[in-house]
Amino acid sequence: MATTAQLTLNSGDIAGDPVSVTKLMTLTKAGTTNDLDQSSGLNRVHLRSTTNKVLLGANAEGNDLAAKVYIINKSEDASLYVTVTINAQTIGKLYGGDFLFIPWSQTDTDADIEVAATNWTSSTGDIPVEYALFHEDTDFLTNA
Amino acid sequence: MATTTAQLVLTSTDLLSDSLSLSAIATLTTAGSATGLTGTEGLGRKKTANTTEYTLFAAADYTDDKAHKVYLKNLSTTAAEYFEIQVAGTVVGRIYAGDWAFLPWSADSTGTNCDIDITPSASNMTLEYMLFTDE
Repeated sequence: MATTAQLTLNSGDIAGDPVSVTKLMTLTKAGTTNDLDQSSGLNRVHLRSTTNKVLLGANAEGNDLAAKVYIINKSEDASLYVTVTINAQTIGKLYGGDFLFIPWSQTDTDADIEVAATNWTSSTGDIPVEYALFHEDTDFLTNA
Repeated sequence: MATTTAQLVLTSTDLLSDSLSLSAIATLTTAGSATGLTGTEGLGRKKTANTTEYTLFAAADYTDDKAHKVYLKNLSTTAAEYFEIQVAGTVVGRIYAGDWAFLPWSADSTGTNCDIDITPSASNMTLEYMLFTDE
């Protein structure tokens, strides 16, 4: 049940020699070679709030289990950005077209991943954001 | 202006009842513009001697509140070994052996000292990294 993620970084001119980095990983459970076996699927939301909204709520049972998060700002406007926070701490900003792929430890129930369309106004239009979570066993049903 | 791209391909034939094939490609640009990033720290490796927390990138060394991008990879081949990644003291997650991460980084040094710190789970581990900077 293998899920793989491949990252390719390319540039012909950011340095004196070309940059070409390709890394492939298999998504596995924490500390093992067993494959991750659960996913939220690919989701899409339209942000129109300058305040933080919970994109993925942390689950205490997920504490230090393996989870991987993919988030992409699908806006075609390079100036519109989404601020990504974990546990209320800003990690970075995804400008139009930017994505992230990060591990997520869910260290406690405050470790939510939140997003905000920080420079959104009623005239900018919504910011479409797509995201997916890949994770191992946590009893999400108890929180349903 | 340099042109640097990052492409992610997610694939699975059996995680779901239908195949998963997702591809995203981003051109790395400066904050709020279509101008390509022009700075990089280059591809580097850090061998950690013990399980002490290390500052990999200090926010004060880079322009505040910009569109920096960070690539990290745990080169260990021992499945149980991981690096814990923190941004501004907040735990993001663990990259286990063979795992990589790619994330935006604001390098905020005014409101919070937004350093990127890593903590290895064992001695003598090696982290591969690359930083693309918005100067």
